[in-house]
Amino acid sequence: MFANFLIGLREGLEASLVVGILVAYLARTGRRDLLPKVWLGVGFAVAVSLAAGAALTFGPRGLSFEAQELIGGTLSIVAVGFVTWMIFWMARTSRALRSELEGRMAVAVAAGGTSLVLLSALAVGREGLETALFVWAAAQATGSSTSPIAGAVLGLAVAVVLGIGVYKGALHLNLASFFRWTGAALVIVAGGVLAYGIHDLQEARVLPGLNTIAFDVSDTIPPSSWYGTLLKGTVNFSPRTTVLEAIAWTCYVVPVLFLFWRSVRTPAPRPTSNPNPTPDAVSV
Amino acid sequence: MTIARFRVGALAASAFLVPSLAACSSDGGSSENATAVAVSSTADACELGATSAPAGSVKFTVKNDGSETTEFYVYEEDGTTIVSEVENIGPGTSRDMTVDLEAGTYVTACKPGEAGDGIRGDFTVS
Repeated sequence: MFANFLIGLREGLEASLVVGILVAYLARTGRRDLLPKVWLGVGFAVAVSLAAGAALTFGPRGLSFEAQELIGGTLSIVAVGFVTWMIFWMARTSRALRSELEGRMAVAVAAGGTSLVLLSALAVGREGLETALFVWAAAQATGSSTSPIAGAVLGLAVAVVLGIGVYKGALHLNLASFFRWTGAALVIVAGGVLAYGIHDLQEARVLPGLNTIAFDVSDTIPPSSWYGTLLKGTVNFSPRTTVLEAIAWTCYVVPVLFLFWRSVRTPAPRPTSNPNPTPDAVSV
Repeated sequence: MTIARFRVGALAASAFLVPSLAACSSDGGSSENATAVAVSSTADACELGATSAPAGSVKFTVKNDGSETTEFYVYEEDGTTIVSEVENIGPGTSRDMTVDLEAGTYVTACKPGEAGDGIRGDFTVS
């Protein structure tokens, strides 16, 4: 039961953290009226994943391995795009906050309204199919033992509780720290999701280099251990990381973290005479 | 409001369904007429009901009889190129993996603990 619990926790944790931060952000900026959009996205992703997982588990047709990796990999990379948008959306709100114009802050939050549905749907749905296949397999085993489904459901439930914990904790931070730390956390999470997506595409042989390994610490951090589970579930740390994953992670995290950090520390946007156009292009 | 909601819903739906449909049309393995091979994965063994099959669709039903989470792989003869895999097989659960195999020699592997080279064996398709 413990191993099934850990799978459920691993699959649910990251989505739960992202949604927890998103909900805390909306609460902190006085836009609880946008919460239905978040729940619409979450509900949609859960429903589609469970339905597709059931069709593949109980129906006559399976999904080829490449197809499944392709779906997981593509959705992950699209999800990185949306989380990055969220990071800079939050940075913009933070800047508006620092300029002490409440009106500007409300405008900055409102700008993101419709993308919220897609953001929450992707955060939950990017690995939703794999999670649903796991849950249905556990449900199928109920005839011989109920411990797999109990473990799976308990793991997912604990993931949700931890997400609620992040939400509650974020409510107590002062607003400047809130933007700084949740934003930085999201950059690390998104970097992990990108590396994960790259790995899926390498397994599907869309990208090369699956066996060109940057480092392998599987002996020190076994994927099945509880700490391996937590590292995988939160920041998508893979004990056996390919060179391409490591490059993608670094090329994403370093510049985005730099831009984000500069963005939340700068009271107002830089003048247009800025000789370096890249930061402005990204932070739009 | 209703229209805006519908539009966003349709967008979200297409983001999920387009890749799924594209995937199905390419090679969603059908388990009808597939050769069934039962696999039992434990801490120190990876037992296959058969180690050969005729060319075509092969349906591996992988049961985790151990206490750690396991994975099941079919590799090309080189032992590194993945032909198909199934992950997240929790203890006590069983997952199906259907794969189209041409005639040739393949390598199967169970990976209890989700790491390492796994417990390997040969699989012949004629």
